[in-house]
Amino acid sequence: MKKDPLIIAFCCNWCAYAAADLAGISRLQYPGSIRIIRVMCSGMVHPDMVFHALEKGADGVMIVGCHPGECHYIKGNEIALARADIIAETLEDMGWERDRFQMTHVSSSEPERLVQAFRDMHERLEALHQNTFAGVEANE
Amino acid sequence: MKDKRRPRLSFVWLHACSGCEIALLNSGERLPELLNKVEIVHFPLLVDHKFGGEQEFALPEADIGFVSGGVASEEHLALLYSMRRTCRILVSLGTCATHGGVPALRNRWTAAATLETVFGDTSGRATVAAEMPALLDRVYSVDEKVRVDFCLPGCPPHPEMIVHVIETLMTDGQPRLPGKSVCETCPTIRTGEMHRTVRRFLNNAEYDSDEPVEEMRCLLEQGFLCMGPVTAGGCGGLSVPLCVQARVPCRGCYGPVRPEGNQLLDMLNVLASHGVDHRAIVDRQSLLRFSGAHGLLRLTRKTK
Ligand code: SF4
Ligand code: SF4
Ligand code: SF4
Ligand code: FES
Repeated sequence: MKKDPLIIAFCCNWCAYAAADLAGISRLQYPGSIRIIRVMCSGMVHPDMVFHALEKGADGVMIVGCHPGECHYIKGNEIALARADIIAETLEDMGWERDRFQMTHVSSSEPERLVQAFRDMHERLEALHQNTFAGVEANE
Repeated sequence: MKDKRRPRLSFVWLHACSGCEIALLNSGERLPELLNKVEIVHFPLLVDHKFGGEQEFALPEADIGFVSGGVASEEHLALLYSMRRTCRILVSLGTCATHGGVPALRNRWTAAATLETVFGDTSGRATVAAEMPALLDRVYSVDEKVRVDFCLPGCPPHPEMIVHVIETLMTDGQPRLPGKSVCETCPTIRTGEMHRTVRRFLNNAEYDSDEPVEEMRCLLEQGFLCMGPVTAGGCGGLSVPLCVQARVPCRGCYGPVRPEGNQLLDMLNVLASHGVDHRAIVDRQSLLRFSGAHGLLRLTRKTK
């Protein structure tokens, strides 16, 4: 039986989490693989946390924050974006595929956009797992 | 107190340079005091004591054992297992033992590639003598292979700190490390304004050599890749960090601030969070030059 991927989504309180809340109220469906962790701002997520999540068994990690220029702590999401760069670059150094990490921006009134990002991430990881298994079988 | 047996100390070195042991000998007046209180049962740097066996190493029983160096070969591994069996308390001494240290730089290549590069003849074949112990696939820190009771990083650890750890463990206490970064004991001037690009250390930092180091601007803020923020402090004892005393940037030799931290990731994070362009660091893997064990430095993927 195929196992669903497990995705940790760090959502900032002011836009991303509010959008997730609205998605729930509007009864939008998104994959059950998403586990939301609310943080005050996307700029709070240290790259160590992303790698920690992967090491502890998550298949993918998302950081979701406000649109550029709309962070409630002014520069938090700029810092998050710079960090997203180094996370993407060091993933392969640490033996993970780049597809396992995603940074996304949404506003609190864009639940569809958030749900779409969740779905895309879920599909990407499923594809990644299929490739990995195909690769393992081909090697055997 | 005459009848009380002196605590027995045992020292072995694995993939090490002897600097850690020399640091202990460098502890000045505290050394003779210490030597009067302990019995040294095994210490290759000081005492000629034969311990090789046919299969196993016959090490003497000890109360506290110190291992310096990483675990790089089958021989190191056998020696380490023997040490663990014979010592009640085991301490990993120095960054090589706690985080792999400089020898773990080879973890980016296979053992075969290392042999070919380092000992290769003109045709690229390794030329080491056949009786050299087989290399492990990579260099491991001591705690990756056996249970360790206390980790004392530093390349080498500060002499006072080594003596403090020995004396505390002798009385069954729990030694304490500073637990802070190099920056916390650095007196340079910080303004919060960073140079936006990384400058490599081809030019000297800006400072007035007639002025004390307290008058110098933080080297990281000057744009040099000073690893102070991501490196465990203590190298200067109660005084200024050693490299900063010499007005050069910290290279990271005490390993990460949290024992399980990742100096590469943490340093890039420092730069990214301050808007510094980290792409100028083409050799970013070298930020793990002292802490490549624990699987942090890995085989570089084939580029072809
Ligand atoms: S930690 Fe430094 S001083 Fe100690 S053995 Fe390793 S290289 Fe030598
Ligand atoms: S970055 Fe370097 S120079 Fe600046 S405070 Fe830290 S240790 Fe000192
Ligand atoms: S300043 Fe850094 S590199 Fe220099 S001795 Fe101290 S910890 Fe080691
Ligand atoms: S508050 Fe949303 S990213 Fe900073």
